[in-house]
Amino acid sequence: MPTGEAAPDIQSQSGASSVSYEGATKRYGSSGAFAVDHLTLEVPAGEICVLVGPSGCGKTTAMRMVNRTVEMTEGDVLVGGQSVHDREPAQLRREIGYVIQQIGLFPHRTIAENIGAVPQLLGWKKDRTRARTTELLELIGLDPELGDRYPAQLSGGQQQRVGVARALAADPLVMLMDEPFGAIDPINRERLQNQFLRLQAEIQKTVLFVTHDIDEAIKMGDRIAILREGGKVEQYATPAEILMAPATEFVEDFVGADRALKRLALMRVSDIDLWEAPLAHVGQATAEVRAKLADPDVEVPYPLLVDSERRPLGWLSARDLEAETVPSAPDSPLGPLLDRDDVMRDALADLLQGEAQYAAVVDHAGRIDGVLSVEIISEFLASPQAKTEEHSAVERPHG
Amino acid sequence: MASLAALPLAVVGQVEKGFIQKRTGSACQGKPSHLFCFDWARENIDRYGTPTLQQLELVAISIVIGFVVAFALALLAHRRRWLRPPLLAGTGILYAIPSISFFLLLLPITGRSRETAIIALSAYTLQIIFRNVTVGLDNVPASATDSARGMGMTERQVLWRVEIPLATPEIIGGLRIATVSTIAIATLAVFAGAGGLGTQILGEANLTFPTTILIVIGIVMAMAFFFDAILLTIQYYATPWRRARAS
Repeated sequence: MPTGEAAPDIQSQSGASSVSYEGATKRYGSSGAFAVDHLTLEVPAGEICVLVGPSGCGKTTAMRMVNRTVEMTEGDVLVGGQSVHDREPAQLRREIGYVIQQIGLFPHRTIAENIGAVPQLLGWKKDRTRARTTELLELIGLDPELGDRYPAQLSGGQQQRVGVARALAADPLVMLMDEPFGAIDPINRERLQNQFLRLQAEIQKTVLFVTHDIDEAIKMGDRIAILREGGKVEQYATPAEILMAPATEFVEDFVGADRALKRLALMRVSDIDLWEAPLAHVGQATAEVRAKLADPDVEVPYPLLVDSERRPLGWLSARDLEAETVPSAPDSPLGPLLDRDDVMRDALADLLQGEAQYAAVVDHAGRIDGVLSVEIISEFLASPQAKTEEHSAVERPHG
Repeated sequence: MASLAALPLAVVGQVEKGFIQKRTGSACQGKPSHLFCFDWARENIDRYGTPTLQQLELVAISIVIGFVVAFALALLAHRRRWLRPPLLAGTGILYAIPSISFFLLLLPITGRSRETAIIALSAYTLQIIFRNVTVGLDNVPASATDSARGMGMTERQVLWRVEIPLATPEIIGGLRIATVSTIAIATLAVFAGAGGLGTQILGEANLTFPTTILIVIGIVMAMAFFFDAILLTIQYYATPWRRARAS
């Protein structure tokens, strides 16, 4: 899949605004139930804030207050410090990107016309709109020639990307995204999420992102607001904080019993202290290697055979060490080989799938960096820092 | 037809007298069993010209008026939902009035005139067009209007840029049905004194001479095909997105 890496200097003129909820409230009927109950939270400019919670928690209602597609009963929302009440709704909305789960492309307009919809409302010149449309199609990794097609001629994933491009067209200060990837199959959803995160790294919009999926929230959010029925915020924090220290029982339940594993999804192998393996080179005297192993501080009881560039070749067994010199073909295969930048959860999966106790970790050049073991991971999860004592029996992947 | 013909002749007679057929071409004279007399048709085809043009005019004017009124009512009922049931009922009642009674009822008010025929014919189109426009607007995907509002379109822009274009197939569908039925009913405009092809059917003598009736049917059908083809062509060019499917 083509990606957005060929991004032009699209954001040179752009900006992002902070969004502040100040006691924003929505009630149905004069004394009816709260959909959103005195919501107060601050989303800094350029960050993704995920509103997550079960259905009926008011997350979509809260999001829609920002562009006034839902009118508040009381309270206020400030966009870039200015109250949305002081803005004419249609004008306000043209400065705020809007992406919904059903995508909502106009079936009767071409892809280019869809992307150019807001510029058209803003009265841009045709040339400028056309240039911007082409730029955005490239940014989302679609062939600009697709601009002449109609939405029905594109796949669901392509349509969703067009939906994002359309929302970005007039360079909005804020993006509202309501379960934008909810209707996409899991494989394409993962791709779209990754692509959007790469895009966001470039464009740095303020994004309010609604989902009911905690995994998506953890993946997408710089900050997560967990809402519960009746529109109350249970916790507003970074994903790591929410996983490490759920503020309430509701959050703990919502995050799930496997939150330690979810934490691993937020970490990279390089975030953890690796063990050092005793290294051995081809042709080296085995006596030297045996001496290293005899050291009481040694963390890995097997020597790792590396080449002259310190690239791992395999593990030496006790039988290998019986020879005079280190053999060029080690007895045990290397097993799983990890990269420093691998996500920790994937690294654990590799270890378990490879039925290996230890896995060599290499840097970008393929040189040995250290050794990861299941033990390191379980020690990390059991540490007070990880605060997972109460679930440790369940969460440790193996005994 | 026999009882029908007896009733209005007194009314119709004054103007239509001149039109009532004098059968000149003769080969099939007095042979009612003879279904279609080609000789007669060949000799008399000229007399259908003016009535055909009259009928075309009646249909065109009635459809334009009916469309404008029904479309406006449908847009009104789109904004104010509560108006829909009374408007559906009202246009439904108009639609249910037997057509000859409608023409005859209007005679004391508007007199024998083209206007009388146009009022009745337009009234008949309201129900079909109103219903189709309403259904078309209802069928516009909520996601499209939601995103249209969310991106900052005003209500008027949502209506004219999103809802009406997407309702075009249903709107034209309604126009097609209304047009074909108006073309057929317009044959009865003769009872309002508005001329048209009805003049070529009416007249006691014709009841035993089916040739002219068959010719009128043929012209009416040709007219219906012609209008339908025009509307289908408009729809084809007005809705290019419906031809575009995943390749």
